[in-house]
Order: sequence, then structure tokens, then C-alpha cells
Amino acid sequence: MTTVETPARRPPAFLTSSLRIFDLSVGEMLWSRRTIFMALVVGAPVAIALLIRVLVGLGAPIFTEGGPRSNSPIHMTGPAIFGLVIWVMYLRFIVPVLGVFYGTSLIADEVEDKTITYLFTRPISRGAVLAGKYLAYLACTVFVVLPSVVLVYLMIVPLRGSLGASFPDLLKDLLLLTLGLAVYGAVFAFVGAAFKRPLLIGLVFVFGWEQAVMVFPGYLRKFTVAFYLQGIVPHAMPSEGVVSLFQGLFRETPSLLTSLVSLAVIWGIFLAWGARIVARKEYVLEQ
Amino acid sequence: MTKRTRIFMTGSGAVLAAGLCTGLVAYYGGGFQALVASTGPTELSYVPADASIVAYADVRSIMDSELRQRFKQAMPMNEEGQREFFEHTGINLEQDVDYVVAAATANGFGKNGVLVARGRFDIVKLEGLAREHGAEVQEYSGKRLLVLKHEGWHHDVEKNAEEAAEKAVEKAEAPAGSGGLAAVSAGVPNTGAVAFLEPGLVAIGDLAGVKRAIDAHDHAQSITSNNEMMDLVKDIERTNNAWAVGRFDLIASQAKLPENIARQIPPVKWFAAAGHINGGVSAQLRAEANDDKAAENLRGVINGVISLARLQGQNDPKLAPLISSLQMSGSGKTVELSFTIPSEIFELMAPKIKGEHRVH
Repeated sequence: MTTVETPARRPPAFLTSSLRIFDLSVGEMLWSRRTIFMALVVGAPVAIALLIRVLVGLGAPIFTEGGPRSNSPIHMTGPAIFGLVIWVMYLRFIVPVLGVFYGTSLIADEVEDKTITYLFTRPISRGAVLAGKYLAYLACTVFVVLPSVVLVYLMIVPLRGSLGASFPDLLKDLLLLTLGLAVYGAVFAFVGAAFKRPLLIGLVFVFGWEQAVMVFPGYLRKFTVAFYLQGIVPHAMPSEGVVSLFQGLFRETPSLLTSLVSLAVIWGIFLAWGARIVARKEYVLEQ
Repeated sequence: MTKRTRIFMTGSGAVLAAGLCTGLVAYYGGGFQALVASTGPTELSYVPADASIVAYADVRSIMDSELRQRFKQAMPMNEEGQREFFEHTGINLEQDVDYVVAAATANGFGKNGVLVARGRFDIVKLEGLAREHGAEVQEYSGKRLLVLKHEGWHHDVEKNAEEAAEKAVEKAEAPAGSGGLAAVSAGVPNTGAVAFLEPGLVAIGDLAGVKRAIDAHDHAQSITSNNEMMDLVKDIERTNNAWAVGRFDLIASQAKLPENIARQIPPVKWFAAAGHINGGVSAQLRAEANDDKAAENLRGVINGVISLARLQGQNDPKLAPLISSLQMSGSGKTVELSFTIPSEIFELMAPKIKGEHRVH
């Protein structure tokens, strides 16, 4: 009687594992309660654009007369308003907030739900778990944020503007927002993997550190993501509000190459660091 | 991946793709607005393709504007003068001119400059008046021209030529031939002309400028073939009743500014100024810089100035509406500043102007 030796099953490669985790996570992430929050956040600029469009369609004197006696509240062109929406709503709020809420939850949620054990007992590298979940986050956010930007562009830009003339800016905006989501996601994936209260740390970083440091001149702003993202925005910085006034006064814009290289470095370092932490850290599940 | 996730992703991708395709088609097709509206007034076909500045004013809407009516009440116009002008020319400035298009090449407004006016003109009266002042009637490309020579023309030409020759001698270090060129240019007679282009359309300007306008129209070599300029015109003409678009670099180079001032001028290629005059004035100033860096610098300077103006103007309620309306925008090479001058500011200015008039 002969015995047949079955060859030992080799664990799947890192990429295969990541894609497997991505496939598992993307649906979970997309149909979670967070998506309601994401829909509200991303839907706000679309709703505002729709409202403006409807008002203009109904003949409201929003763009027609610039004179103060005409009760016209807006004296800007469609492309300028689109630029303002990209700056104020997407770049300064939506992208960092989505990065914080989704990025910090990639590992923290599994720890909180005590389900991380099931992932770690699979024959895949632990780093691939983070990479797969990060890919799922990127797919979820990109597929929600970018269409909303396109809808705002289609509704707002034709008002005293040209879709064609603003098209290159739209492409830059889409690329910029994708970069922003990727980099913020990587940073907060690391935060979620490394710290105990990642959401709080993330919110402090986005609304405390980044906002404060950008107001003052000096080198500290180089330790933010916003500094490099703002370097590649194709639109003029809005000058409304005291914070914007100071940011405008002390604004220092890095070159396009510096911005892109710095963002790539931040992305690479934090994603690799996050994967390394996940691979080595022993998560203690609270009973 | 579940079915509904796949459906969501597909739908989302479809929205993204549809938006990008729309933008792409608009980008290569010149924008969707172009399909429903022509760019600028049709009289632009009389503006030569090499014009360095083009301006437009909707005289009718400006005359009817609330602001003008208020000015008229605050500072009554010299109605006697207007009546005399009407009696001589048959033109009631308040009612007979609809809009005007003016253009000039970099050589200056005096030479090759032309103003095309659309309205209701009494041709017989105008021709009679011109003949009284020694005008000659000429035909050019089937159009009737009234050529008006300046009264002291011969004397002026001789005097200008003498002065130019003296200056050329004084400027010994000037490049060879420049003095002669100045003398020749000074000796060119400044001959005015009025051309009746179409019923209700007249061109006024230097004879050479008027002839070039007719040529531009007849040979289809007008400014409408200048895509860069027409793009700027397209952006501003729809919502403003007065605008001007031009080559800033050409005009600045012809302005003969002192070197230290010329050095400070930002590297701007195109400029556009537009305004809508009604209750107040809402205006836009736009500059197309030579490159993104120059535009970024210019935006920085303007943002700084706006910030300082806002800090300074916080305590002045009269200027507050103007300062709060200052808005900087633009991307890439474009820098745009928009603002609104409320009628209250004009009302504040009116008594001062009125006072100055009385002193004089």
C-alpha cells in the first residue's frame, strides 16, 4: 500500500490575498451605515448645485444682474463657483473627512467587532488584510466622490461658463481628489492600525493640526497633507473668511513636482508602515 | 462582490464616464454654448484680425440703466448741447445709438482705429454736414465714404515733420532709420472718415482704419478668426453690457512706459475687462498670464491686496459693500477679479463732481 503525499498548499501571493480581501470588504464597506454619512456629505454639493440650477431655471436673478439693487446674491461665474466648491467642500472637508472615517476604521472596526481573528487565521499575510481593505476604501470613496464632482460640474459650470473651457480643470480636480483620498486614506489607515482612539486622532489632525498650521508661515505646514494637495489645485484659493484670509496672506505653494513626489512619499510610507504594524502588532480583543 | 455592489459600481462609473464624455465633446467642439449662441455682436466681422484691442458697449442699455437715470437726476446734463448736436447731425444720443464696437491695432487708436456704431442715422443730414466741413465723398469696395481732412492739415503735417526731424537729430544714439521713421509716421495725414457700411451701421475712424475694417469684412479676415480673442469675448459678452478684450503685452510695449515701470508690469498676454451697468456696476477684470507661474504670482498679489483691503475697509460702512464684493478666481494661466460698485458709492461721488463742475 502506498501513501500519496499531498503537496503543502502554499499561501496565496500578497496581491492575490489583497484582492481577495478587497472583494470581501468592498460590499461590506459600501452597504454599511457609514455609507449613509458618506451619501449625505457627498450629496450636499450636488444638492446645492441642483438648487442653484433650479433657481436659475425658474428665472431667479442669481447670475443675471450684478447690481446691488437687483438683489443678486452671486456675482461669480459658474466655473468660479465650481472652483470654490472644489476648494471649500471637497478639498477642505469631504476628502479629509472620508479619509478619517473610513481610513481609521479599516482595522479598528475589525478589532472592535472582534472579527479580526477570522482574518488573521486565514493563510494570508496580515499586511495584505490592510492592503485589501485600503483598496476597498479607495474604490468605495472614489466611486462615490468622483461622480458627485462630475454632476456638480455639469450643473454649475454652464452658468456663465463653458463646459469645454473648464474640462481640463475638471480632469485635474478628479485626479487631485483621487490623490487626496488615497493619501488621506493611507495616513489614517496607519492611524487606525497604530492607535487606540484613531477617530479622535484623525479629527484632531484634520480639523486641528492641518487648519492651524496652514494659517501660520513656516515649515510646519510641510507636515500636512493639505499643503501638498493645495499645491496642485487648478482653481484660485477662495478668500472668504478670516482663516482663508490668513492662509491667502501666508500662502506658500510648492511646485507641482514637489507636491506629487511628497504625496507619493507620504502615501508609500504610511501605507507600508500601517501594513507593518498590522503584521507585527498583537491586537488584544476586549472581552 | 455582490450583485448590487456591482450594479452600484457600474452606475457610478457610467455617471463618471458620461460626464467626462460630455466635457470632452464640449472641449473639442468649442463648448455647448457655442451651439446655441453666436459669439459677440455680428459687427465683429468689421474688426481686422490683427486688432490688439476690441471693445463693445451696449449704449442703449447703458443709457436706460438705473444708474444713468440717477446720474441724470443728480447732475442734469447740458440739454442745450445735446439739442445742438441733434440739430446738426440728426442723432439723438439718448435714443438713436444701439451699440458700438471699437477696435485698434497696436499702432494706436489714432491710426487704424475704428468705431462701428449700430443705430438709426440720418445719412442725408450727416453727409450734408460733412460736406459743409469740406469732406470728400469716396467709394471703397462698394461702400460710401466721407473723408474728412483736418482743417490745419497741411500746416500740422509740416510742423510734425519738422519736429520729428529735429528729434531724430537730437537722438543721435537712436538706431539708424528710427528718426526717419518717426518723421514719416508724423507726416502721415490724420484723415478721418465715416463709412456707411449697411443700413443702420456706420464706421467712424481714421481713413486707413475704416478701409481695413471694410477689407476685414469683405475678405473674411476679421477678428472672429482669432480663436484666442474670441474665446475671451465668448466668456464675457453674454452677461455684460460693456467689455474690452485686448493683447496686454502689445499695448504695454507700445505705451513707451519708463523702464522701471515697464519692469514691474506682470507678464500678461491677454486682458479682458467687462462690466454690467444697471443699478450699480458689476465688473470683471481678467488676465491671461504667459504661464501658470506668472498667473499664480499675480493671484497671490491680488489675494494679498484683497485681504489688506478687507482688513482696512472693515470700519468703513460706505466701502464695505464694494470690498466684500471683491472676489478673485481663475485657474491655470487665468486670473480674474470681480467686484460690484453699488450705486450708493456713485451717489456719494455725484455731489463732489457736481461741486467741481460749479467751481469751473
